[in-house]
Amino acid sequence: MLKYTVRRFFEMLLTLFIIATATFFLLEAVPGDPLTTRAERLPESVAENLYHKYGLDKSTMERYVITMKGMLKGDFGESVVMPGYDIQQLLKETLAPSARLGLQCIIVGVGLGLILGILAAMFKGTWADYLIVFFSVLMISVPTLIFGLLLQKYVAGELGLFPIVGWPKGDDLWFGGWEYTVLPTLSGCFSYVATYSRLLKTSMLDVINQDYVLAARAKGLSEPQIVRRHILRNAFIPIITVLPMSVAFALTGSFFIEKIYSIPGFGRYFIDSIQAQDLSIVLGQTVLMAILYVAVVFVVDILYTVVDPRIRVGGRT
Amino acid sequence: MGETLLQVKDLRVSYYTYAGEVQSVRGISFDVEKGETVAIVGESGCGKSVTAKSIMRLIADPGKIKEGSSITLDGRDILAMSGRELRSYRGAECAMIFQDALTSLDPTMKVGKQIAEVLTIHGMATKREAAAKAVELLRQVGIPNPERRAQEYPHQFSGGMRQRAMIATALACGPKLLIADEPTTALDVTIQAQIIDLMKQMQKELNAAILLITHDLGVVADIARRICVMYSGKIVERGSADDIFYRPRHPYTLALLSAVPRLDLENKEHLASIEGTPPDLLKPPAGCPFCTRCKYCMPICQEEMPESTDFGGGHQASCWLHDPRAPRVDAPLYDEKEGRV
Repeated sequence: MLKYTVRRFFEMLLTLFIIATATFFLLEAVPGDPLTTRAERLPESVAENLYHKYGLDKSTMERYVITMKGMLKGDFGESVVMPGYDIQQLLKETLAPSARLGLQCIIVGVGLGLILGILAAMFKGTWADYLIVFFSVLMISVPTLIFGLLLQKYVAGELGLFPIVGWPKGDDLWFGGWEYTVLPTLSGCFSYVATYSRLLKTSMLDVINQDYVLAARAKGLSEPQIVRRHILRNAFIPIITVLPMSVAFALTGSFFIEKIYSIPGFGRYFIDSIQAQDLSIVLGQTVLMAILYVAVVFVVDILYTVVDPRIRVGGRT
Repeated sequence: MGETLLQVKDLRVSYYTYAGEVQSVRGISFDVEKGETVAIVGESGCGKSVTAKSIMRLIADPGKIKEGSSITLDGRDILAMSGRELRSYRGAECAMIFQDALTSLDPTMKVGKQIAEVLTIHGMATKREAAAKAVELLRQVGIPNPERRAQEYPHQFSGGMRQRAMIATALACGPKLLIADEPTTALDVTIQAQIIDLMKQMQKELNAAILLITHDLGVVADIARRICVMYSGKIVERGSADDIFYRPRHPYTLALLSAVPRLDLENKEHLASIEGTPPDLLKPPAGCPFCTRCKYCMPICQEEMPESTDFGGGHQASCWLHDPRAPRVDAPLYDEKEGRV
């Protein structure tokens, strides 16, 4: 196990190196640089100073080496678009709202999705099943931003049940100010409800046709007992692979929801900083995401062995 | 004659598919006495597994046990049981072991726990007692080192051991009837013999009746006292093991027997097989279902299903050859050229 972990760690470093390099050169390949539009309006000497300040006057290879060296020390450089900010500062200020929103979406969405999935599988072919399938298809086909806007207009605007925009601050950052979080969480959780209900349903139907379910019935177990003791555990195996990925994805924020509800989160900077070619922020984000995902894959491997004993044995037999 | 334990009367099971009604079992009757072993023999698709599942009431949609069928165990009507009664019947009074022990054991649950489960479900033991009993049962079915084995998962067991564990599960509650649906089909021949021996030994200890479902006459010879031969949803011949093996009356039984590999025959000979395929049960034939494959087929065979003829001692066969009007020949002759009957 130790050997495996160590190997995985080095693989992770290599992955990060490749991702960082690829990001750097891809961004480099885009015409122009972060200062192009600003420099046009400035006197030549000021522009030159600016270019020098961010090191943009150096050659591509030189800047690559500088960037990579900085990264080793955890220094991604200062943002060009937001002076005074580097990626760490930005994360400190914006990651908490994004992470809270993401976690709430996951908990509500996956929880609801799994319950609906079980119901759909147990009542397969009845109106309950068709209703759940209908809403799953609806939830997965309509983009998040449509739900967000509709909820905002009708539930918050016309009914006035919840604040239209905003997010808890200060002491309420993690717990509290729940009324602000209801609509964003709702709009964000629909896609998880749809994904997970369908995933669990298909997985359960697969398991229901297995011989050991018939054997369990022949033992005299009741249907709820069969579901609880035999079907769910086996049906969760595919869920285990997908769930940590969803968590990693959710933690880093949602562009649309954060825009619609003016949440001071991290997700909005995804696209903004790429458009501005703000290398330090883009690189920081990419590396953060990469670390998160590689770590998640590692966690999935471990979880797998917990759920499925066939994988656990390894060297023992 | 012992006391009747299981009585199946005019059992009809159909599967209602998109293509139409598939009549899997077309009116069969038989009974099993306390402590005896009865075998149902037939080729794939003849309805023998469906019969087994019907007795456990495990027929799932789109299958249905038709009106007019009757199954009773110890005088209790199985087909009229409520969900609750059914659950206390399954596993406790009547247990079943399946063909493929690997897929019939939950891969994510320890073997000991799967055996203990049936005891706790039926309220026969607390969790702790059940765990201890599971180890004891594993020992009884001849699994070495049962304490450790109980903590292992099914994939760590060999094929024979898995079937032993299945038998342990089935016998945990001391059922009156054990239904074994092709218990040895997935196993090596040597392991097959061990499993059959184990079943015989456990039967003696528990005095349970066994209903053995198989296509393998070699397995049957070892254990069954009475045999029913099934063909396309009907029992075509029934009798004691001696009747079936030494005095077969139905051409299908005869053909089955000649398709059993024998060690005492020359290697050069081809193993006999039965030409053709069984009839499509979507449109079951009006006459004898075997007539298209039968060497002795007569015109009447294609038109009308033969009545069963009684040869005494519970030996019956449904074949027009035994009708008083049929042309008389002696029992099918030993064929010099073929080297067998």
